[in-house]
Formats: sequence, structure tokens, C-alpha cells
Amino acid sequence: MSATGVTVTPQRFQFVHFDAELIQRVAESLVAALGLDRPVVIEVDETTPLARIDVTIDDAVTIRVESGAFEDTRRPRHQSEQATAASLGRVLLRARDRLLGGFGEAPADDRLTLAQTAAWNAYCAGRLARLGVHVAPQRWQYDFRNRHGFHDLADVAFERLWASDGLTWGELDEISRTAQHP
Amino acid sequence: MRKFFPVEELARDERFNQVTMKERMADPRSGLPSAPGERSRSNRLVPSRPDASQAARALMHGIFVGEIQALEGAGRTCHDFRTAGDSARRAQDDAHDGVDTDDAVPFALKLDMARQAWDEARHVEISVKLSDWMGSEIGEFAENTVLFQAACSTDPILRLAGVNRALEGLAIDVFTTMKEFGDLAGDPFLEFCEDWMLADEVTHVKMGSDWLRRVTEHDPERRKKALEFQGVVDKLFSYGGTRSDSQESPIGLARRFRELAGFSDHEVEEIAEVSLAALEERKAAVAAMQSAARDVEQLAGG
Repeated sequence: MSATGVTVTPQRFQFVHFDAELIQRVAESLVAALGLDRPVVIEVDETTPLARIDVTIDDAVTIRVESGAFEDTRRPRHQSEQATAASLGRVLLRARDRLLGGFGEAPADDRLTLAQTAAWNAYCAGRLARLGVHVAPQRWQYDFRNRHGFHDLADVAFERLWASDGLTWGELDEISRTAQHP
Repeated sequence: MRKFFPVEELARDERFNQVTMKERMADPRSGLPSAPGERSRSNRLVPSRPDASQAARALMHGIFVGEIQALEGAGRTCHDFRTAGDSARRAQDDAHDGVDTDDAVPFALKLDMARQAWDEARHVEISVKLSDWMGSEIGEFAENTVLFQAACSTDPILRLAGVNRALEGLAIDVFTTMKEFGDLAGDPFLEFCEDWMLADEVTHVKMGSDWLRRVTEHDPERRKKALEFQGVVDKLFSYGGTRSDSQESPIGLARRFRELAGFSDHEVEEIAEVSLAALEERKAAVAAMQSAARDVEQLAGG
């Protein structure tokens, strides 16, 4: 574990050309920027190219991530620092939301609806962009539209989420719900 | 002008990164949910999949580069083979490159290929706009060059079998999946554009089916060879089970549209079998690669 409390496993990859030190460095930088005060454990599943990420929060924030989430889509099996930062940043922000309060009523990650997940992702991606992490707004807007509909009301809701800081779960969920009914 | 252009020399700018089928198949990872012989959860590309947006973006980019290669393939067929009776071109070919082409082709066949090239150019433009709409950048995903490789045969009939029937047949399956995706998600642009492109692809497959029958009408051996080549390409284009009747495959076989394009029921069944075989082979290959990796790890550890 590093001084700031980030652990990465495995340390050596067999199926992909990933660098555990790079993952740790990116995570440390995000943990510092977000002011997270718990150890972070990152477990990479390199047997699948899918990109799911599961997070559990107790004494530590444990992130189980499939290799596709850190992958350079231009160069299969190679790591992208940008994708690593965007994927970790998104779930660390979500963990921070839960830890800081205002998100006590939020369902567990595996109980979130697809629309709620898309709304929370948009909220996280907007904040990450303001932190200087490269995220493509149109990509997240497309995901938001897929879950809320392809209409103006959904686009207004997306813009609001993208530009927001300090939302509570109730506010976020309300924005998501109203966006689904043009 | 140069004939029979090799896949390694396709013109691309620095945004593109090309990978071969061999490289793709050497990836020991698998998104397939179960072991060989087992059937598991659906992996179809539908909006209810949690990763649907990202998967649709990746597939859309695959369509985009596929359209570029289809344009290049159809364009090459217009140029690489001389028109029957064109003695001036024959003399020019003989004096110039010495490539032994199997035959001249009817002018109307080349005209069809020119029309197809025009369609594909339009599809490239549509795909660029759709990719942008979905939040992708040109070159964001690796370009698999296997599609153009099928367009490199020196026999025009093998090329028609590989490109118009196998490649464009795959396009029918892919466009049907994406059209349904757009319809279910309520994305009016995706649904509309895929529907238009699908109509063109059905026409392209039909052209291939018709010319294959006409040109080999009195040459059953050549027809057999072409259909065997198509079988090989169809298996390659199943991408290790990415396209098959199994729910484990993201893309299904569009049986109705294939029928409209001139495939017989028997031919569709053959493609279905070949695709399922490719899926099982891929699962077995991944299991073997992962097992070998674990053995290496155990040896290193102890």
C-alpha cells in the first residue's frame, strides 16, 4: 500500500499490458484531489475485456474493475491513462458522495436503475471535467439520452447535472425522474 | 494505376490504429459469459444492457471502418479487373504488372460495383455523423482490417463471394441489430439511418448473389470454390462468436433480410452453423489460453 493508502492487485499482469504503478499513481492523485480519507483497494480482473466496476465501501473503498475500463480502445490490451483516470474518478466521486452525506437514501449500486446510474454518471463526469480529467461530454450525453429519452427535456436535465456541484441524492433523483417525462 | 492493393498499405491518417484478426484472436480475455459447450445469459446488444451505450458506440465505429473498407473493396473491383472484350486494357495489363487475373468481368458487374462504391461512400459519411452523435471520435477504437483482406482475391468471383455475400451479409446482421437498438432506445437518428443503410446492404448482397450465379453458370467448379471461400470468410466474420444465433453473441443473424438478399434457407443454416462453431472455438481457445497463463503463474510462484 502506498503512503496515501492505495493498493493495486495484481502487481503484474499476464493478459494485458497494464502498469500497476500507473494505476496507483492515478488513483493517488484522484484521492488527493477529492479529499478521500479512506484506504482504496483496486482489484483488476484482467480475464475479461468488459468494463464493469463494482465498489464497496466500509473501512476501505474497494474497487473491483474489469480490464476494459482501463483499456486504450485504439490499442487493445494496452492501458490508457486517460481511461484509467476517467473510470477511477467516476467511481471515487460516487464513493465520496456516499461518504460525505446527502446520499444516504441512494440505493446500493446494484439496486440503481439504469436511468439513475446514467444521471449519477453525468453528475460525476461533469465534476471530473472541471477537475481537469479528460471526459467527452457527448459520450455521457448519449448515455443519458439512452436512459431518459431523446428529447429536449432530457438534454436540459443533462446540462444541469453536468454543471452541478453539491447535489443531494434527492435532487439528483428528481432531475432524473422529471427528465423521463417530456 | 496499381492493381491489387495490399491491406497493409491502406491509406489512413494518424488517428487510426489497425489490428489484424490474428492479433484480435490472440487476446486471452473473453467477454463471453460461459465455458465451451455451456449456454448462459443473453449478451445481445440491446438498450437494457448496462454497458449498452459504450457497446453501441464501439459497434458504430466498427461499422464506420467497415464502410471505409467496403468502399475500398468495391472501388478496387471496378479497377482491378478488365471489362470483357477490352483488348487495349489487356495489353496494358500484360505489359505492366504481370498479375495473372482469373478472368475479365462483364461491364454491368463493374457498374454495380461502382454503384456500391457510391453507396459505401455515403455510408461512411452517415457513420461519421452517427459516431459523432453518439460521442465517439474518428479512430477512437481499433480498426480490424479483416474486411478488406476478403477483398484481395485475384479472382473476381471469389471477391464477390467474400465481399458482397460474406462481408455485406455481416453488414445486414449488424445493421439490423443497430436499427432495433435505435428503435428500442427511441433514438430517431440511429434507427432511421441504419434502416436506410440496411436497404442498401440488402441490395449489395443481392448483386453479389446474382453475379455469382450468372458468371459461374457454366462453371460449377468455380462456383463451388467461391462458395467455399465464402464459408471461410463467413467464419472469420463471426469474429469468434460476436455474430451468431446464440443469445451469447451481441449480434444475431438477420434471417429475413438475408432471405430478401438472395440467401437460400440452406445457406442461412450453414452460416448459422459456422457462426456457432466459431463461438464454441473461441470459448475453447480462451479457456486454453487462460489455463496456460495460470500454469505459468503457478510455475513462477512455486
